[in-house]
Amino acid sequence: MNVLAAGAGVFKPPDPDGLRRHVRDNKERRLVSKVMSEREAVERFVHDGDYLVYDCNTWVRGPSSLLREVIRQRRRDLWIGAKFTAHDATLLVAAGCVSRIDVGWMEAGRVIQEAMCNEQLQLVEWSNGALTYRLLAGALGVPFLPLRYLGGTDVFRASGAKLVDDPYTGQPICVVPALNPDVALLHVHQADEFGNARIFGAGIAPVEAAMASRRVILSTEEIIPSEAIRRQPQRTSIPYYMVDAVVHAPFGCYPGSMPGLYGADVAHLMEFGGAQAQGTMDQYLDKWVHSVSSHEEMLEQRVGTNKLDELRAQETIREGYYE
Amino acid sequence: MTESRTFTDMEQIICATSRLMEEDRLYFVAIAGPPLVAVLLAKRLRTPEIAYVVEDGTIAPSVQLPAPPFLIAASAASYRAVAWTSMNTVSFHAALGYIDYGVLAAVQVDEYGNFNSTFVGPQYERPARRFGGPGGANEIASLCWRTILMTRQQGRKFVRKLDFMSSPGFLDGSPGARERAGLPADTGPWRVVTEMAVFDFDDESHRMRLRAIAPWVTVDDVLAEMEFEPLIAPSLETISLPTDEELAALRAEVDPSGRTIRGRWITVEEEDGHVRLVQQDAPTDGA
Repeated sequence: MNVLAAGAGVFKPPDPDGLRRHVRDNKERRLVSKVMSEREAVERFVHDGDYLVYDCNTWVRGPSSLLREVIRQRRRDLWIGAKFTAHDATLLVAAGCVSRIDVGWMEAGRVIQEAMCNEQLQLVEWSNGALTYRLLAGALGVPFLPLRYLGGTDVFRASGAKLVDDPYTGQPICVVPALNPDVALLHVHQADEFGNARIFGAGIAPVEAAMASRRVILSTEEIIPSEAIRRQPQRTSIPYYMVDAVVHAPFGCYPGSMPGLYGADVAHLMEFGGAQAQGTMDQYLDKWVHSVSSHEEMLEQRVGTNKLDELRAQETIREGYYE
Repeated sequence: MTESRTFTDMEQIICATSRLMEEDRLYFVAIAGPPLVAVLLAKRLRTPEIAYVVEDGTIAPSVQLPAPPFLIAASAASYRAVAWTSMNTVSFHAALGYIDYGVLAAVQVDEYGNFNSTFVGPQYERPARRFGGPGGANEIASLCWRTILMTRQQGRKFVRKLDFMSSPGFLDGSPGARERAGLPADTGPWRVVTEMAVFDFDDESHRMRLRAIAPWVTVDDVLAEMEFEPLIAPSLETISLPTDEELAALRAEVDPSGRTIRGRWITVEEEDGHVRLVQQDAPTDGA
């Protein structure tokens, strides 16, 4: 295939056979319970230097409690896939967990900018679509896929995409490398103990992320009986054999919203914004992450039941999710 | 009779954009900010049958109004859609040619409609100001048939050379440039809307062309807020002022929190069809 142009961006090299061998040797085929604490899940399945991807973001259905545990355990040198992320990337950078970000879109303020200027953080440019498409390639088990965007732009030049002659039509076409993250963090509405999971509402790419990643940690609002899964198999988004850990985490995407269950804590999001603008992220992290031992303790001591009730009441739409 | 009217620059941009919407068409809209507000306003007042997708995979929602203060984080944004899918799915629909218009906001735009939403400053590694990145704009501007861009009219935004080209317009403007870069045929930027002007693009040269101006500005006012000189259409249209109905819908229903519509205040006086600028705030530092 004739390469007409190539972006200069670094990318995690595609390795479909490496993934297959990992799956062969590590993924549990039996129906066994994978329920564990967030601490155990992150200790076992998130390592320094990992490529980490998560689905959705601080605002909606993001795995915020798992991300706080990653921060609490002081993981370092992570490379994250920031497709339509919000404050998540900033939070991880502020906590010193991240050295590289593949950018689709992220909330980018003082923290990201200072980390770049201090050479503690390297960005690689993609787009939201390109990153989810790379995950799709990873999910299909192929090393790359063609797509009809990116070309001609500085994003192309700063990415790991290539422009090639299409061997079938002869026309120029962009190709992007498959993305197979080391670990995916996903927050779901319901899962059984084995990891069969249901996500309600629009999503970004939770299914592609689960399929493409070597290790998958789910946090779930609710653990439901496996019988309930089998009675409505159409509602299963992710099957158990892709899942390594199931963490029971009601309000797991706090301060974000969980469609059908609770609204976002806008005051908390403002507090975050204020902390970033004032350069007091360390205090923010201490208050919300390091000074509490778990998500449960954070909810009890920092949020409180009145606030949780208020957030539940804020979500007035159940139609489409639970009805 | 003299009548005075006060609105923000962003309200003017949003109203002018919403009037470009064509009934019964399919739109791909940035998931928040001015593009979404413009489409919601159009659906509310003029073109109720337009449908749109957003990049989280929501197809043709019926947003509950009044919108909650932080719509992007609320399920009101995807209420009574026809489908809840994924980011890849809606990109595929755009790649197949189903989406007539993309509506996007830009930090900087050049004379060929290429635009920046990544950073401004002399050096990528040390940005004067870093922004979120293209998000879905690169694929939306590549795959939809026509792209509508929204931005403020400022010299630092209408630049000769972008600090970074996040998303494609007509690239170098040469015939077939987009196709040579692997983008679908017959696509590209269609309109650029600011508080002072609406631009289109010349069919041959692909250069930006001034097409309409707000009633309180002159062509020179517009050119003074551009680094490059656009082509100028032989007869210029006049952009209407925001109507009471539009402003009421924006402020009370579509963006009651004011997060998106806030901006530089502009006051004009209208008398016998003539519109005179009374006062306006200085440009802000905002994006």
